Amino acid sequence: MTTTDHRRASADDPRVMLDEQVGVFEPIPPYPPRTEREAEFYSVGDGELLINIGPHHPATHGVMRVVMKLNGETIVDLDPVLGYLHRGVEKLCENADFHQTIAYMDPLEYVSSLFCEWPAVMAYEKLLDVEVPRRAEYIRVLTGELNRVSSHLLAMGFHALDLGGLTPILYSFIERDEIVEMLAAITGQRMLFNYFRIGGVNGDLNHEFMSRLGDWMSRATEQVEANVGLLSENEIFVRRNRDIGVMDPETAIKMCWTGPNLRASGVPFDIRRAHPYSVYPELDFDIPTRKEGDSLARYLLRIDEVKQSLRIIDQCLHQMPDGPVLAKLPRLLRPRPGRAFAAVEGPRGEYAIYAVSDGTDQPFRFRIHDPSFLHLQSFGRLVPGKLIADWMTVNASLDPIMGGIDK
Amino acid sequence: MTAVARAWGRLTLPGKVVFTLVPILAVLTASLIALIVLFGGAALDILNANLGVVRFVAAATVILVITIPIAFLNIYLEMKIIALMNLRVGPDRVGPWGTALSVVHGLKVLMKEDFTPSGADSVVFTWAPVVTYAAAVLTLVVLPFAPGLYAQDFNIGLLFFFAMGGLGVVGLLMGGWASFNKYSLLGGLRSAAQIISYEIPLTLSVVGLLILAGTMSLNTIVVQQDGWFANWYVFRQPLAFVIFFIAATAEANRTPFDLTEADSEIVAGFATEYSGMRFGFFFFAEYVNVFILSALTVVLFLGGWNAPFEIDPLLDWIGGILPGLGITTPVTIALDPGGLGLPLLFLLLLVPPLGTLLFAAPFFLLRSSMRWWVALIIGFLLFNVVAGGLVMAWAYVSFEAVAGLLWFLGKTFFFVFVFVWMRGTLPRVRIDQLMGFAWKWLLPASLLNLFVTALAVVVVGS
Repeated sequence: MTTTDHRRASADDPRVMLDEQVGVFEPIPPYPPRTEREAEFYSVGDGELLINIGPHHPATHGVMRVVMKLNGETIVDLDPVLGYLHRGVEKLCENADFHQTIAYMDPLEYVSSLFCEWPAVMAYEKLLDVEVPRRAEYIRVLTGELNRVSSHLLAMGFHALDLGGLTPILYSFIERDEIVEMLAAITGQRMLFNYFRIGGVNGDLNHEFMSRLGDWMSRATEQVEANVGLLSENEIFVRRNRDIGVMDPETAIKMCWTGPNLRASGVPFDIRRAHPYSVYPELDFDIPTRKEGDSLARYLLRIDEVKQSLRIIDQCLHQMPDGPVLAKLPRLLRPRPGRAFAAVEGPRGEYAIYAVSDGTDQPFRFRIHDPSFLHLQSFGRLVPGKLIADWMTVNASLDPIMGGIDK
Repeated sequence: MTAVARAWGRLTLPGKVVFTLVPILAVLTASLIALIVLFGGAALDILNANLGVVRFVAAATVILVITIPIAFLNIYLEMKIIALMNLRVGPDRVGPWGTALSVVHGLKVLMKEDFTPSGADSVVFTWAPVVTYAAAVLTLVVLPFAPGLYAQDFNIGLLFFFAMGGLGVVGLLMGGWASFNKYSLLGGLRSAAQIISYEIPLTLSVVGLLILAGTMSLNTIVVQQDGWFANWYVFRQPLAFVIFFIAATAEANRTPFDLTEADSEIVAGFATEYSGMRFGFFFFAEYVNVFILSALTVVLFLGGWNAPFEIDPLLDWIGGILPGLGITTPVTIALDPGGLGLPLLFLLLLVPPLGTLLFAAPFFLLRSSMRWWVALIIGFLLFNVVAGGLVMAWAYVSFEAVAGLLWFLGKTFFFVFVFVWMRGTLPRVRIDQLMGFAWKWLLPASLLNLFVTALAVVVVGS
């Protein structure tokens, strides 16, 4: 908060000009610079302007704040300021028992909740040496892929919304709502499912889920292609995205990118194939990649992934065995002391949990790895030199979720 | 006294309104009649002597007032059409199909707090929406709505239009600068850059048309396009039409060129700090601008108030056929109300009830479950629809102005629909693409159009 002099007319006599100090909010921190980088960034040069994007801004996909240093419309430099959504989830999990931590995982990734539950239960299963029933594994893959489709559809809709298109987001929500409703039929909730359990899932597939899924699968491919046609063949959309936020494969690997963003840069890395887990080795699907590494490639790659996910769902439905969906486990879990790491391929990249057990019923140390955070740190490479509107394009194409970034 | 108060208290709200308004209206009517009887001749003489002033006052009032329904209609159309394109329901609560929602929006905006930020330049901040709105209203002055229905027919009408339309950007720039907000400043600068860039192709694209027309008077340009639709300038200047419409979209700050209020980038642009009726004025101006630019497109390229076909040969043809069929009804009825006298009174008294009964009868007779009063309501509504249609048809045939206004509004609202359609479909362009498109594509194309038109005129003329 800095102050500037400003002259205003007096309320009593408009001819009298009063000098009074008017509060001007400059996005400069109220403390002296802590690092050289901070000192350099917050010293504004000639013709430069610091502008706040967020914490409450239509295009930040949550509560993120980015301070931009502008020269006209061009972004000279930018500084993401995180922590507006910090809840201390890791510490909360260290004070909850193993079952309770699963519920804390959902709001981290509120668009695709299942992918944060999944590595947690996988890590605990490694600690406990539990054999998960095969039907439970198939149900996990099935619901997970459905959740991936809904997340990608939402990402594509918001991508258009950030570029000023009003309609695609609503078309995306039609399909997403179908998926969310069918997941609600087995999990009981629309967003924060809390469905996976240590050693299986909470409840078998039911009739409502199967009938909704059958209905939706019969028209899913055409619907998705019809929705996508509104954007992928739109000249304005393509020109806004092409050659914006280009990431080469070497840098992408160095910046710890994973998921669709990495594959859009041409690296065919997918945890489902690289470090297979669950029943993915038994399923037949491709790893789509693209070479360009720009925003358009990231957008188009998500469409390809949706098609592959639909293939996986189809195979799951055909191959799913009968049997129990939850392993028999005691209610109070005391795993042996040790450590476990589990990672899954989510719609944004690698979701991983590192859990340390000291023999009690609570994790001794609990570490959450979220891909959005690592994608967000590349803004400094992707955006400077581009225009303000390009930051929105890059942000939308990276598809970050703030819940996981601030944890 | 208590009896009157008790009776008043028992009245419903509509009753109170009627009992208040009827005496006031009666007094006003009586005094108006008295005034006309007493001073009618003198007043008419004075008004006749100052016909220019009278015409100016009437036109200014009408033009100021007409912006309100235009803006309300545009806002409603935008809400409803985009909702239908998004597979939503859209407004459906206030009035039939939600038609009164934009009126409610207007009232809401009037009641909201009129907030000025502490650092704002309050004078400039206050006057910015006024300038924008005034610029939009002033352009309406030269638009010919129908034959004889225009405020002023300048010989430099088109020039006046562009001059006044260009003033709108001053208001946006004022608002952006005075708001004491960086988003507003960026929005204001964007609007200045955008509108000044797009003024050039907008104006140059019309120059070819002006060579063909030989005049800048919009009224004359419309008159030149009468007859069949092949006479419209869009068929002689197709490239100019495309350039003009694209540039007009940018001028009106509409999607895909709505960078000045790009909500995902600079929040609301110049309007970020505005609230209440000042914000309302900005958006009134925007929606009036959409109407005006659609209207100008229609006037310049699509024949204005001319029908796409000639009505007279058609009427003659019908008139030639009807006697052969044994029907001798004249198409234009030469009614002389004075000559009819008492029968006219009976006609006016009897036709509505008889018509209502006539239309109600089939419903009442054919459906046993229908109550008589329901049948009467249906009959009354049907009678009104049919009578209204007949009156409109008669007015269309008899009065040039009515026919012209209908065609003009029909064509204009088609273009309003196109604006809304684009908003529902397209994403926004980037600022460098916006400027590049204006200077690298539209400007050369409009110069090419001008060159080809001039060459054609010289070759054909010589």
